[in-house]
Amino acid sequence: MALTEDPYTLISKWLHAREFLVVGKGIARADALDKALGTAKFVEDYFQEGMLFVKQVLSTEPHAKILRIRDEEALKIPKVVKVFTAKDIPGENQVGYALPDQPLIAEGKVRYHGELVALVAAEDIDAALRAAELVKVDYDPLPYVLNPLEALERKDVLVHEEVGSNIAFRTKVRKGNVEEGFSEADVIVENEYRTHHQDHVYLETEGALAIPGLDGRLTVVTAAQYPHLAQSIIARVLGVPASNIKVVVPFMGGGFGGKDDEGPLTAAKAALVAHLTGRPAFILYTREESLRMHPKREATIIKYKSGATKDGKLTAIDVKIIHDTGAYANRGPFILWRATVHASGPYEVPHARVEGYCVYTNKVYQGSFRGFGNPSVQFAAEMQMNELARKLGMDPVEFRLKNMLRPGSRTITNQLLEESVGIAEAVEKLAEKVNWAKRRAECESFKGRYRRGIGIGVAWHGISTSRGVPDWSNAYVKIDKDGSVSMFTGIVEMGQGSPNSSHRQIVAEILGAPLEKVKVVFGTSDAPDAGATHASRGTSIGAIGVLVAAARVRERLNKLAAELLGCKPEDVEIKGGVVRAKGTDKELSWDELIKQAYARGVDLSATGYFFLPKGKFNDELGQGQAYPAFSYVAMIAEVEVDTWTGKVRVLRIWPALAAGRIINPQQVEGQIEGAAVQGMGYVLMEQFVFDDKGRILNADMTDYIVPTTLDIPEIEKPVYVEDLFKYGPFGAKGVGEMALIPAPAAIAGAVSHALGKPITKLPLTPEAVYFELRKGGST
Amino acid sequence: MKVSFILNGEPVTVDVKPNEILLDTLRLKLNIKSVKRGCERAECGACTVLVDGRPTYSCNLLTVQVEGREVTTLEGLRDDPIVKELTSKFVERGAVQCGFCTPGFIITAYALLKSGKELTPENVKKMLEGNICRCTGYKKIIEAVTAAAEALKK
Repeated sequence: MALTEDPYTLISKWLHAREFLVVGKGIARADALDKALGTAKFVEDYFQEGMLFVKQVLSTEPHAKILRIRDEEALKIPKVVKVFTAKDIPGENQVGYALPDQPLIAEGKVRYHGELVALVAAEDIDAALRAAELVKVDYDPLPYVLNPLEALERKDVLVHEEVGSNIAFRTKVRKGNVEEGFSEADVIVENEYRTHHQDHVYLETEGALAIPGLDGRLTVVTAAQYPHLAQSIIARVLGVPASNIKVVVPFMGGGFGGKDDEGPLTAAKAALVAHLTGRPAFILYTREESLRMHPKREATIIKYKSGATKDGKLTAIDVKIIHDTGAYANRGPFILWRATVHASGPYEVPHARVEGYCVYTNKVYQGSFRGFGNPSVQFAAEMQMNELARKLGMDPVEFRLKNMLRPGSRTITNQLLEESVGIAEAVEKLAEKVNWAKRRAECESFKGRYRRGIGIGVAWHGISTSRGVPDWSNAYVKIDKDGSVSMFTGIVEMGQGSPNSSHRQIVAEILGAPLEKVKVVFGTSDAPDAGATHASRGTSIGAIGVLVAAARVRERLNKLAAELLGCKPEDVEIKGGVVRAKGTDKELSWDELIKQAYARGVDLSATGYFFLPKGKFNDELGQGQAYPAFSYVAMIAEVEVDTWTGKVRVLRIWPALAAGRIINPQQVEGQIEGAAVQGMGYVLMEQFVFDDKGRILNADMTDYIVPTTLDIPEIEKPVYVEDLFKYGPFGAKGVGEMALIPAPAAIAGAVSHALGKPITKLPLTPEAVYFELRKGGST
Repeated sequence: MKVSFILNGEPVTVDVKPNEILLDTLRLKLNIKSVKRGCERAECGACTVLVDGRPTYSCNLLTVQVEGREVTTLEGLRDDPIVKELTSKFVERGAVQCGFCTPGFIITAYALLKSGKELTPENVKKMLEGNICRCTGYKKIIEAVTAAAEALKK
């Protein structure tokens, strides 16, 4: 019998498995003990004194021509080696992801307060710091624009002259006839929503160590979410082939998207100095640099009009989304696409018009952050749903369920959702668990200083890249002679756990090898390119390649074991280190099977390339297949509002997830709890304060406040609906971002319920709530 | 200038700059890597060490200030029964994600458990307030510390 190598057959075979050894179990992750003991290594742990230390010189103007960079005084400091500027870059000074609009080091002009102007390399950290202060930059200030609405109008102040306007990118969705849809509506709600920047505040700031000649190449140890992307950006900046660059990403102290954008740039800065000096070079951002420089969650203005009939069916939406992208587009066009095609929320809407604008301003630029354009637009969509329900006199959950996407529904891009749409069931179960109607009525009985409210957020999130943008998975699996298994992937370990929990479980499940024999080597550009660790794809896409590679080896092991045991390959069982012919007592050990494979010429190594099939998408009309599948999430939040001070406390959160197979429930819970609290921080306390030059005034953890143990709510066990995705590993879809996405809607909805007023603007800091309460002279 | 102190039970003498923070001395001169650099502003707690048994931010202390004092880090506590219980509960309960903040939490929790204070979820939260975690949402950390305390009582 011929061996099956076809990825579709292998994915489907394991999708339909009924019994599991380790999949679906809350197994502790492989890296947890080393991390708890402090022996797990992060980038800075590889730094040794004697290596060059690199310090950054940042712009002090929001928009200005660079006339001259004077380094004479800086070079007088002992132990300072050199000051590097744009003109020292041997390759291309171009690092824009979506559009070629961004230099690694500012060239000709600066576009925001905090942009990189020069790098100082010194033998010693203090020397580098002092020298960086002595690098003098002569600027010719230009007029600048900070407000995206103003930037849209201005033609005289251009962040990028070559573009001819401040619009970096536009998106569109056109479905049906919106005017007709509104004419059928009995109620119409129209509002303008505003959301703000958020910083990732990963505990580990950005860092990179570049070592010339290590492993025969320029090896860069860095915290980047996609080693192969860092490799290609370094190669471009240095003007060398990518094969001359090796990128290793050790344990990463949090990423959340921020190190997907900034990681490769950090790596390129260290690599540039190492390449030009021939010496190991190390860069580490201070917290202030990290907060000033790296891209933030998009700040948005969303104008939203929606209509529904009196029996509670949505008829039309008309949405205008403006993203303040700041000085560079970065991934802004992709973020805007995601917001645009998700603008309806997880609901059926027959008529839809969505317009998106990605607008340049002279501020720090926007970028990837858990949810990627979706939390803000789901907030707007869900606040609209609450208002429509209120006007219709319907319960908000009942109204949502009447419109919710189900198998057979079509999205606003007219994508037919054939299967894997478990959100309606998840919301029904969640509402029942919470006892929604009763709890809602109880909240309304609080009338004094402390009011209570309850809110729901329901959201969807496309898995993989949007539209037809190619996406793939890959991994390399090998078994050594002693029976130990290694799996190599470019997926990184930034806390999400996919390599050290789900990947390892998948390899152990498929091979039947004992879990402790499976070692995962993650985050290296020497592994096959598995795409980035972003967009909730570490397991959902990243592990498809793992599954295929392991399944190919398993097919070969089955054939060999069948020969040795005298049974059919499909009757071979491997578990707990024992290989057995099903229903017999004929067996051999795992180690013996591996020895036999080496003796008999069986290849125990395989890659698992899988190219994700994608449908057609028309960018002009925004119609077609937006994503191969969607994950769904719902969250109910209960809050208490102190009407005297405006302080909001989230008392309790109930999450629900329809994200296909749950490979490791403990890790999934961890993702949900972490995302919920990060989302709560975004809604209640995290915000940047900009001055009149667009400078961030609170670039430290004293004044940019994130949640602590004293802020957290009770978080209940999640409701899971395992709506399997046919290409997902064992049917898994994405998890990592999910619980952040409905958090703004759920919490703001609860505050709105407590106050009896619509909420249209975030964050809900005590002062914001205090003044909202006193608007119109009431209370 | 020379500073002498007790590090994990052993006397050490290091040559430091007057403005050098303990975090840098530990990481760069004494190879103590469990102490993490998060904010350098006494906000995040990733650099927490024990100074004379009390949890202290090592970024907020000049090395000259620990002259003659006892500094303890996880490197010196790996065989301690309380730390063993804590790390095993952190692993079991899924309280570790990226792991960058974890050593700081373990040190703070160790001091809490060592103090013999009566543990309630409220004082566990209060004691851990000075340590920031951006990954877990704290729930599993609080559960792990509480579970370790329970186990140690037995």
